[in-house]
Amino acid sequence: MMSGNSFAAHRSIAALLAAAVGLCAFVVAAGNVRAESWGVEQLMRNLGQVKAAKGKFVERKHLAILEAPLELSGTLVYTAPGRLEKHTLRPKPESLILDQDTLTIDSKTEGQRRTLVLQEYPVIWAFVESIRSTLAGDLQTLNRFYEVKLEGNEGRWRLLLKPSAPKMQSVVKEIRIGGSKDWISTIEILETEGDRSVMTVTRDTS
Amino acid sequence: MNLSKRWVIGAWLAFVLACIAVISRTEFTADLSAFLPRSPTPAQEVLVEQLRSGAVSRLVLIGIEGGTAEARAETSKRLAAALRRVEDFALIANGEDAVSGQDRDFLWRNRYLLSPAVTSERFSAQALRESLEANLHLLGSPAGMFVRRVLPGDPSGELMGLVERLRGESRPAMQHGVWFSQDGRRALLAAQTRAAGGDIDAQARALALIRGAFAEAAGGNAMNLLLAGPGVFSVYSRERIKNDAWRFALIAIALVAGLLLVLYRSPRVLGLGLLPVASGALAGVAAVSLGFGAVHGITLGFGVTLLGEGVDYAIYLFTQSTPGTAPQRTLERIWPTLRLGVLTSICGFSAMLLSGFTGLAQLGLFSIAGLIVAVIVTRAVLPVLLPPGFAMPAVDALAPGVMALVRRAPLLRLPLLAAVALAAAYLAVRGGPLWSDDLARLSPVPLSDQRLDQELRRDAGAPDVRYVVVAAAKDEQSALEASENIAGALERSMHQGWLAGYESPGTYLPSFRMQRARQAALPAADTLRENLQQALKGLPFRSNLFEPFLKDAAAAKEMPLLDRGSLRGTHLGLKVDSLLVERENGWAAMLPLRGVTHAAGISRELDGNPTTQAVLLDVKRESNALYQSYRREALHYSLLGAGAIVVLLFVSLRSPWRVFDVLAPLAAAVIAVTAVLAVSGHELSIFHLVGLLLVVAVGSNYSLFFDRQMPSVQDRERTIVSLLFASMSTMIGFGVLSFSEVPVLNALGSTVGMGAFMALVFAAILSRREERR
Repeated sequence: MMSGNSFAAHRSIAALLAAAVGLCAFVVAAGNVRAESWGVEQLMRNLGQVKAAKGKFVERKHLAILEAPLELSGTLVYTAPGRLEKHTLRPKPESLILDQDTLTIDSKTEGQRRTLVLQEYPVIWAFVESIRSTLAGDLQTLNRFYEVKLEGNEGRWRLLLKPSAPKMQSVVKEIRIGGSKDWISTIEILETEGDRSVMTVTRDTS
Repeated sequence: MNLSKRWVIGAWLAFVLACIAVISRTEFTADLSAFLPRSPTPAQEVLVEQLRSGAVSRLVLIGIEGGTAEARAETSKRLAAALRRVEDFALIANGEDAVSGQDRDFLWRNRYLLSPAVTSERFSAQALRESLEANLHLLGSPAGMFVRRVLPGDPSGELMGLVERLRGESRPAMQHGVWFSQDGRRALLAAQTRAAGGDIDAQARALALIRGAFAEAAGGNAMNLLLAGPGVFSVYSRERIKNDAWRFALIAIALVAGLLLVLYRSPRVLGLGLLPVASGALAGVAAVSLGFGAVHGITLGFGVTLLGEGVDYAIYLFTQSTPGTAPQRTLERIWPTLRLGVLTSICGFSAMLLSGFTGLAQLGLFSIAGLIVAVIVTRAVLPVLLPPGFAMPAVDALAPGVMALVRRAPLLRLPLLAAVALAAAYLAVRGGPLWSDDLARLSPVPLSDQRLDQELRRDAGAPDVRYVVVAAAKDEQSALEASENIAGALERSMHQGWLAGYESPGTYLPSFRMQRARQAALPAADTLRENLQQALKGLPFRSNLFEPFLKDAAAAKEMPLLDRGSLRGTHLGLKVDSLLVERENGWAAMLPLRGVTHAAGISRELDGNPTTQAVLLDVKRESNALYQSYRREALHYSLLGAGAIVVLLFVSLRSPWRVFDVLAPLAAAVIAVTAVLAVSGHELSIFHLVGLLLVVAVGSNYSLFFDRQMPSVQDRERTIVSLLFASMSTMIGFGVLSFSEVPVLNALGSTVGMGAFMALVFAAILSRREERR
């Protein structure tokens, strides 16, 4: 019987193990379900549902050639799917308006207005697309220019964008876009030669 | 064969061999100087040089259609990369790297000598302060990424200014990093061959390279390659003319040979019939080669055409031979008329020898030498080689019918005179020009291809090859100084909106004078340091950041001046080579213009500049004008030749009536052919004129034979049948050409085919000689 009992005991341990393994598998599966419910795709879907947004920004540029960081501030206006306006108010008023594939630079102090067709400036294009495609939730475009990685969770996420074109790689090392739910709150640009700029965006409730 | 006959054959063979020896060392050219008068104006010379070998002539525009935009862009990149590895191209541009690495290096190293912004005010404390503030502002904008790299060495932004200037020159639309047409349907590339545009073999090679590289670059994608440009057109034209000329010549030869074989019933005699004209052609080429040093392609083409008369000599001899009569006897009988016919043609062509245009003078010499040799071969060699007792049975069979027609022909005299009077009246009163002076009309390039060329040019922002400012100077430096003066006038014209832009050699290689002025404008090292210190006060730039600037500016003040050698290996160097050229006596600077809207205004602005002699060349107008004077001169000398023919006929025929009898059918034929061409909508060109010359040359033989008193009725019949055969072979041979769409072949074919037939029929109708039965 001993042998029988021991056999029975073995069976129950095996069952327990099996149950444990099963549970683990369930937990993992559940985890997968959660990861599927919130991931890059979901984040992008959430972002893509925002049709218009307005924010105030403060941008600090830490440049090797300057003794102190350069600080710019102003407002950002986004209209889905392709229009982004960056109105710098300080230190000098200047507007950058990105609409479809043109970038208009309107420098009010110098009375100059220049329009660039993005396709003619691949680096600038890749650069503005990092922000616009994120805002628009356009993962396809983002993937065309960058290797995309996501960190964190829905309440506090961070997209890590590494440029894929060599030309862009020679200028930008990584772009980090941080946010919460469908709001982008920081944009950090790390340049290849060590310069860095950090932009923080807060909701403009005015 | 007796001794004297052997001598004749031996002498003929020796002559042919001598001609071949001369020809084997002959240079055949296709360059445009044949269209150039012997004392051209400087503008004309420059024009021809440009069309022949200038940068403009070496441009190949490439379009890629089909597939997705990405696929087109990728193909463009692969194609450009493949072509850049080939020696045949000096430059391949498709929008990637508008300013190449080497060029950027050159601009950077020499920015203070090259930048037009360098003046003494540019580096004052105040101006520097303004530049620095502007730069600080730029650092915050998207351009900041680029600015911060060059800022320490170039706070005043000279490099940026130079690059903008170069980019601004031609700005096709861009997609996926390469040039596209405005509508995005085509990716665009521009290639510059090393070989001159006039070097058709080299151009053909370059095109084959492009096609091969494209096939590989396109991979399996279904895409179309479009090619345009002067070199492309020369190659296409040559192919088209070659193809058409071969095809139609073979058909014509087959038809004429078939006809003659039926008539002669002897392949040997058929072969003999070609001896005079073949020997004549060899002699013509050799004569031109000895007389002019080189033979032009146009001469060759037209000359061989005019030798068409030589084919008839053999026909006259063969047809008029009778059984039982030695060929020598026949010849002696027809010789006086044949000789007068040859002399008439020679008179007609000799006036051309006087022409100031090399092409026309060559044509005159070719025809004269060729006809003399053809008639001598007919006189001396053919009778020796003709089978003894040769006669054509066909003559006897046809003679009665032909004679019946000829006897009745004079009935049509009044209707013919009325028709010719009507034609002459039509030509006199019709509105619009009879002669076309638009070179494009003569081009064998189909209109659709010409339109494609314009489209690609517009898309690529390439100079429209129409307006070029040319300044002649005694040496390289004065030419550069001239280009700088002209640039001033052009800038003013741009402000007026008269043109969109221009290129100048002085942009890439300023004159020594200008470079020295810029060096002098740079402040001394200490002053510059002080100015900079003052300008930097209160700005957040790191200390000592601008040491590279101070060092470079100090070096620029002392650096050796730039010359052509400094540009070696850069694309800019190639541009300078094409815009600044050494000529036979002196130098010329060329400034191609873009988007000209008011040529007269620009011209006035240039004239207002007393220090520099500059001409605004309208390439299209000038080349049309050149062609026009070529065609006019040809017409002029043809009329002189006609006058000489009249004098010759008076001297030999000694009777105004007989002169009239000989000339009337010819004049009627020329008037009728011209009227038919005009009515059917042809604008007459030099090709038609050459055709009319041949009508007169061939037709004068017809009317001379018609006019001649014959010893017997049989001789008369044989003569007239021989004329019928001669005109039939001419009509068939040239008539076939009129089916070609290549303007030169079509014009010659329709003019001569129609004219030869009319000349014979009119001679029969207008003949006042009573036909005996």
